[in-house]
Amino acid sequence: MESSDEPTDTIAAAAAGDMAAFERLYRQFSPRIYGLCLRLTGQREAAEDCTQESFVAAWRALARFERRSRFSTWLHQIAVNCVLSRRKGLRFAYEVAEPATGLPERADPGSGAPPLDVERAVAALPEGARHVLVLVGIYGYSHAEAAGALGIAEGTCKAQLHRARQLLSATLGLETS
Amino acid sequence: MNDRQSDSLDRLLANLPRDMAPPGNLWPGVAARLSGKSRRAAPPMALAAAIAIAAAGLASLFTWAVLENRSVPRVIQTVAAASSFDEPHDPKYLLARNSVERTFRERLALLEPATRAKIEASLAVIRRAHEEIRKALAADPQSAVLEQLWESTGRDELDLYDSVVQATQPSTTRI
Repeated sequence: MESSDEPTDTIAAAAAGDMAAFERLYRQFSPRIYGLCLRLTGQREAAEDCTQESFVAAWRALARFERRSRFSTWLHQIAVNCVLSRRKGLRFAYEVAEPATGLPERADPGSGAPPLDVERAVAALPEGARHVLVLVGIYGYSHAEAAGALGIAEGTCKAQLHRARQLLSATLGLETS
Repeated sequence: MNDRQSDSLDRLLANLPRDMAPPGNLWPGVAARLSGKSRRAAPPMALAAAIAIAAAGLASLFTWAVLENRSVPRVIQTVAAASSFDEPHDPKYLLARNSVERTFRERLALLEPATRAKIEASLAVIRRAHEEIRKALAADPQSAVLEQLWESTGRDELDLYDSVVQATQPSTTRI
């Protein structure tokens, strides 16, 4: 997974109950968490809810946070759990991938135009394939990490990634004729 | 998919930004939910309640010491005074918890070796379970079931302390 400098002092202060320190953590990490939630859910409103839920859960659990893992890794896991548990109760309507938004089935390989609509193509993937692609392909999880986070077997993870890449490749017109 | 396709796709995915700013400021919503409940409310408050119960048991020692005009051990004063706790990092909480455990240790030393061994074994089981649940919670911090179990094993430990302290409490008639 990607690494970055972690604000250990701020994390410690927040763990000790300093709300201002926790807000600083929110400011630093919320764009990453929101991006992750948005790509996993495919829906803006759900991503906002999951982002908020993730930080509420993180605040409550921070006293038990072990420094063995990185804070960002720990926070990512909370966010993934939020998305997965929300999914059990709600059926997301993938606003990004709705037909009305005009997601093309295929890009035109000969047009020379870059397939810029990668986000929408990712959002249009079947859920299992999308989750794996987001974690492994975009956020740099290993297969073992993604499988653990999603509660699936590593082999399933690899198969879903392969499927996701094939579907994306086809949608984005990366196929060779 | 051939290598060229794979490279192209990898490049496209690599170019996607990892960070995406939420469309609005979500912090007020988070802050409102945090201030709506006390932080990590369930487990610490329940543990605090358990310590308060243990402290109540020790409070009778306090009464006994006062009635008998004896010097009140500092530990009892401390625990009896610590009637409210906010969270595990609260110094009052930690102090009271340590005091209860210290009293338990002192009383445990008064028991027969065989009894002491059984109590120590029970305590080890409870602590092992508590630690396992804590680890599981670290991986799944939102699990309500794990929170409950964590809280329950924490309370079990304090109940054990309390039982030993109560069972070894000096009788006023003995003095």
